[in-house]
Amino acid sequence: MQLQLQYFLLLAAALFCIGIYGLITSRNAVRVLMSIELMLNAVNLNLMGFSNFIDPQGIKGQVFTVFVITVAAAEAAVGLAIVLSIYRNRDTVDMEQFNLLKW
Amino acid sequence: MAQFFLQTAWLIPCYPLLGAILAIPWSPGIIRRTGPRPSGYINAVMSFIAFLHGLLALTATWNQPAQELLIPWLHVVDLDLTIPVELSAVTIGATMVITGINLLAQVFAIGYMEMDWGWARFYSLLAMFEAGMCGLALCNSLFFSYIILEILTLGTYLLIGLWFNQSLVVTGARDAFLTKRVGDLFLLMGVIALYPLSGTWNFSELAEWASTANIDPKVAALLGLALIAGPMGKCAQFPLHLWLDEAMEGPVPSTILRNSVVVSTGAWVLIKIQPIIALSPFAVSATLFIGVVTALGGTMVAIAQIDIKRTLSYLVSAYMGFVFIAVGTGQTQTALLLMLTYAVAMALLVMSVGAVVWNSITQDVTKLGGLWSKRPASGLSYIVGAAGLVAVPPLGSFWALVQLGDHLSTNHPWLFGVLLVVNTLATFSLTRVFGLVFGGKPKQMSERSPEIHWPMALPMLILMGFTLHVPLLLLQWQLLPNWSTLNTTVAGLLAASSAIGCGLSSYIYLNDNWAKPVQFGSQGLQDFFAYDFYTQKLYRLTIVFVVDLVSKTISWTDRYIIDGIVNLVGMITVFSGQGLKYNVSGQTQFYALTILLGVALLGILLSWPLISHMSLIIGG
Repeated sequence: MQLQLQYFLLLAAALFCIGIYGLITSRNAVRVLMSIELMLNAVNLNLMGFSNFIDPQGIKGQVFTVFVITVAAAEAAVGLAIVLSIYRNRDTVDMEQFNLLKW
Repeated sequence: MAQFFLQTAWLIPCYPLLGAILAIPWSPGIIRRTGPRPSGYINAVMSFIAFLHGLLALTATWNQPAQELLIPWLHVVDLDLTIPVELSAVTIGATMVITGINLLAQVFAIGYMEMDWGWARFYSLLAMFEAGMCGLALCNSLFFSYIILEILTLGTYLLIGLWFNQSLVVTGARDAFLTKRVGDLFLLMGVIALYPLSGTWNFSELAEWASTANIDPKVAALLGLALIAGPMGKCAQFPLHLWLDEAMEGPVPSTILRNSVVVSTGAWVLIKIQPIIALSPFAVSATLFIGVVTALGGTMVAIAQIDIKRTLSYLVSAYMGFVFIAVGTGQTQTALLLMLTYAVAMALLVMSVGAVVWNSITQDVTKLGGLWSKRPASGLSYIVGAAGLVAVPPLGSFWALVQLGDHLSTNHPWLFGVLLVVNTLATFSLTRVFGLVFGGKPKQMSERSPEIHWPMALPMLILMGFTLHVPLLLLQWQLLPNWSTLNTTVAGLLAASSAIGCGLSSYIYLNDNWAKPVQFGSQGLQDFFAYDFYTQKLYRLTIVFVVDLVSKTISWTDRYIIDGIVNLVGMITVFSGQGLKYNVSGQTQFYALTILLGVALLGILLSWPLISHMSLIIGG
């Protein structure tokens, strides 16, 4: 079986959707961050796929992926910092307890 | 010199108008210390000046052709509203009758309004009436006549409503205003519809136009009916007559004017527009019909009244009905003559009645009696006024009625029959009031009834003298037929009808053996006339009911449907805001879902052409 771009894209899309599901349904704030990582990795998979199959000479997609990984790392760090600072005040990381800013 | 007074005759309405303005400072709220009397004196003087001016102007215009003064008022595009003032013996004579009766009524009021503080308002309004009526007499344009009629309608409202702390006065003033206003508005329709047809509102030009006009009979009929409707309300003709009954709630001196001259303002306009009414046979028959019904109804209702002022007010309607009959049969000269003799006699009657009311307090004729020996001046005035009003040979109205009857007996015999019946009934009514008030034995209310003091007696007696002199004046002016040309049958029948009415009524009411209160037929019939054919109920059940229902429906629709729709828009926005705010759930994940859904939808939207293409491929 010849590997095709579509398989990578479908896998990335599936991963992204799993990430979305996790992002929306998780009650644990850390798991939300994990879901975000999943989505970012799905994006990375996309980028890598496109880079390999469409732009094998320039591989600009790989450059993008490097940037996404580094930015995602920084973002995850800040995200965890925010989760920690909330945890200090509220003694919980349950997302359903963070509904103070409503209507 | 006299010519100068004639040329300045337009000043005649200005004197009373000045008086009306000058009277105002003595309102109790402005000059607080002197009392209100000077306003009365000023107005009496102003009336006298206006009367003198008229007298001097009359000498210049006597036996001269009519002159016309033009006072520019407004000129817009092709509409030229110039006030034409007609200076003829008739118009100047009319102003003299008006100012003369006003002067007498104002002097009468100085006596009558003795115990009243509202002189400023009262005299101001009387003077406004005087000015309006003089203006109407002089003005030779239908348009300006209409304007003056409307101003006088407002004046009626204010004058009837003088003592507005009485509830019946308030309702009476309301009815007088609205009833006359309805007539005036129909008149306005006629006035406006007339202009495109004739191109002028000048009475003399209208008469010329009407002599050669050739218009659609339906248009002519509608025009005639609209033009009749104004005078119909003004002259208290059936069915717009209830206001005059209720207007009797106002003070007596204003009643003098209302009964004698104010109701004649409508008749004056009617006489002037006679050529236009004559264009349509239907309008002519309508005029006759209204006149006949009012004359018969008015006299019959008058007989059944117990309020002394109301016994006269229905006769006013009846006599204005005569004017309608005269106009309907084309006798404008007779109508003018009748208005002169009627105005003088009716003013005298009301003065005499007012003099009785002033110190007998009650207006109920069944509670008065036996005043003849104590009140000779009032009684004589009453007799002279009554004789001057009905067909009693040497006095004024006899000649007018003979002229009318002479014409009617040859052209419309049945109308002459009506004239005879109405004359009998009117005589019966007047004699009945005389019998009840001056004849019989004194009742509790009239046990001690002194004769009135001079300010009331003087104008009454002067007017009595004038009423007695009216035939002599008419003879002098050659307005009376010669004895040789007098239709003796008509004159005899009229005099006989008066004699029958007077005799019958005297037999019943001056006869102590006849049981009082008198019963005619059934109680129901008597009430039918006493309550004026239940006109008030009729109004309530028809016009008032319909207008009330319609206005309530419109008000309801406005309040609940029109306002409701607008309020609904507001409510929807408020409630949608209230409801939609719950979208801001406070859950970050919900926000994330919203963002993702938004992005997904946007993506689908943007790539829709591609997706539909793909489905085509898959489907195909």
